[in-house]
Amino acid sequence: MNAPRPLGFVATVVESARQTALRLRHNRVWTLVLIGAAALYGIAWLVGYQVGRRTTDNGVIVYCNLAWWLQATVVTPWLTLYLGVQALHGGLEDRTFQYLFLRPVSRVALLLGNWIAVSLVGAAVGGLGAVVLFVGMADNAELWPDGAEWGYAGAFAGACAIAATAYAAAAMAFSAWFRRPLVWAAFFVVGLQQVVANLPISAGLRSATITDPLRRFVLDAIEPTQRLANSLWPAEATFDLELIGSPLLDLGWFVFVALAIASWVYARTEYDARARD
Amino acid sequence: MSPQPDTSTSSALRFDRVTKWYGSIVALLDVSFEVGCEVVGLVGKNGAGKSTLMKLAAGLLQPSQGTVRVGLHPAGTAAARADLGFCPDVERLYEQLTAVTFVAWMMRYHGYGRRDARARAAATLERLGLGEHMHRRIREYSKGMRQRVRLAQALAHEPRFVLLDEPMTGLDPVARAELAQTIRSLPMQGVGVLVSSHVLHELEAVVDRVVLVHQGRLLAQGRVGELRAQLPSQPHRLRIVGPRLRELAAMLVAWPQVAQVRVHDDSLEVSVVGEAGFYEALTRLGAGWDGGVHEVVPLDDDLASLFGYLVG
Repeated sequence: MNAPRPLGFVATVVESARQTALRLRHNRVWTLVLIGAAALYGIAWLVGYQVGRRTTDNGVIVYCNLAWWLQATVVTPWLTLYLGVQALHGGLEDRTFQYLFLRPVSRVALLLGNWIAVSLVGAAVGGLGAVVLFVGMADNAELWPDGAEWGYAGAFAGACAIAATAYAAAAMAFSAWFRRPLVWAAFFVVGLQQVVANLPISAGLRSATITDPLRRFVLDAIEPTQRLANSLWPAEATFDLELIGSPLLDLGWFVFVALAIASWVYARTEYDARARD
Repeated sequence: MSPQPDTSTSSALRFDRVTKWYGSIVALLDVSFEVGCEVVGLVGKNGAGKSTLMKLAAGLLQPSQGTVRVGLHPAGTAAARADLGFCPDVERLYEQLTAVTFVAWMMRYHGYGRRDARARAAATLERLGLGEHMHRRIREYSKGMRQRVRLAQALAHEPRFVLLDEPMTGLDPVARAELAQTIRSLPMQGVGVLVSSHVLHELEAVVDRVVLVHQGRLLAQGRVGELRAQLPSQPHRLRIVGPRLRELAAMLVAWPQVAQVRVHDDSLEVSVVGEAGFYEALTRLGAGWDGGVHEVVPLDDDLASLFGYLVG
């Protein structure tokens, strides 16, 4: 056997990500995810079938609305937040964090490994969900007179993947900081983001959310008609590409700040003392 | 010329005037002691501060005042954690993993390559008697098997100090005996051990010294016999077995060292003040009296009695 060499920061991040991903593999939520994927396909097919019979809307409008309002703002956020909380806060709750904190590695590296693993899993599932929705809708040929436009599936899959990295960062911060991280996650997703969505476009607080820059990213990617833009961004009566700004930069800042807070708290908190306080 | 390091403390796990508050609750107050290459038992009631001391050494908590050092390194630093193994009093493990995978994962963070980590994990589990079961998922394990997994993750990287928080909990008598043997063997491999347990008679069998804590304060430390001898206000209780017990009792009550004699059906229970003089006198009596003394058994020289006297 070779003598051990101290594991560096990056190697610790990679190992932590590997272990977290393997642990997430055993989560019970995957049964629900499989059922959910089948349900997504069914919903997409049914909605496409009904809309195709009754209106003149084409597949682009129906798919974009469904992909945005269901997959990008409900399924992907909640699945990623749940997985993130399970990965980090689960260990704090059942006290298995003690086995990790004893090792001669950085807690920040352990946390970043968790974030990467949750981001990758969330991105894969969120992105695949967007594709499954598209497949369900593409089966209704009357919605796509010129053939199914797969570019939209790619745009929403990418948006869901980006959303997953941001929500995973939020999950890390909530898990490291709060005793009931899912309650705070609910406050963030349902409360703060909904309030901010109704603020004027100039409000700086919009950058402190995920939904707003993500919506701008999507609109930039799909270059919508005015009607589609209105349905995806109801608060903004007149859509203009000038309003897009730098959504990826905003999301990058969000991820950076969330991870900085999470790292600071995770590295310093005496989780063993919490029960006594 | 730079000063020579103090080797008596540089190679020890050292608590130096450690105080710890949880909010307004004082968990530890001005506690100082050392653990060298020996087995030291940490004894105290629930809430006395035993687990807090362990977690301070492991770096899971920071002292409010004072210092904890693992060899030359402040507790909590990466170098200190590399030198420590901790078997926490935590029920959960990574339930979905096999024991060998769990321990190997932990070893990866000590810098072992994947193959080495797995080999080391397997060898340690084998040594702790889990060789046949190491490829089963932990959720299928009994309490005793889980305790061995916890122990394996603490020992597999060959630390200089091992902290064992209630390691006997949940083990059957055979497993306890095996664990005691394992603990006793560690100082011979250069490992210092700090172990806490509620099973005082079993703890006494494995420790070189004890540290008694009560309500966050260090009450006493040392060898059990030495500590017992430092309690002159508490008479030693002895059981004496022999024939003609009433006759013997009548003789003993006249001795200045004897505080009290109780006569039972098959023995006498004698409370003695000034043990050394009593034994000399008893030896002389045994040689000169035709009644004879068959057996003298100390009743309160053990750790449990000492603990009882000190904490009430």
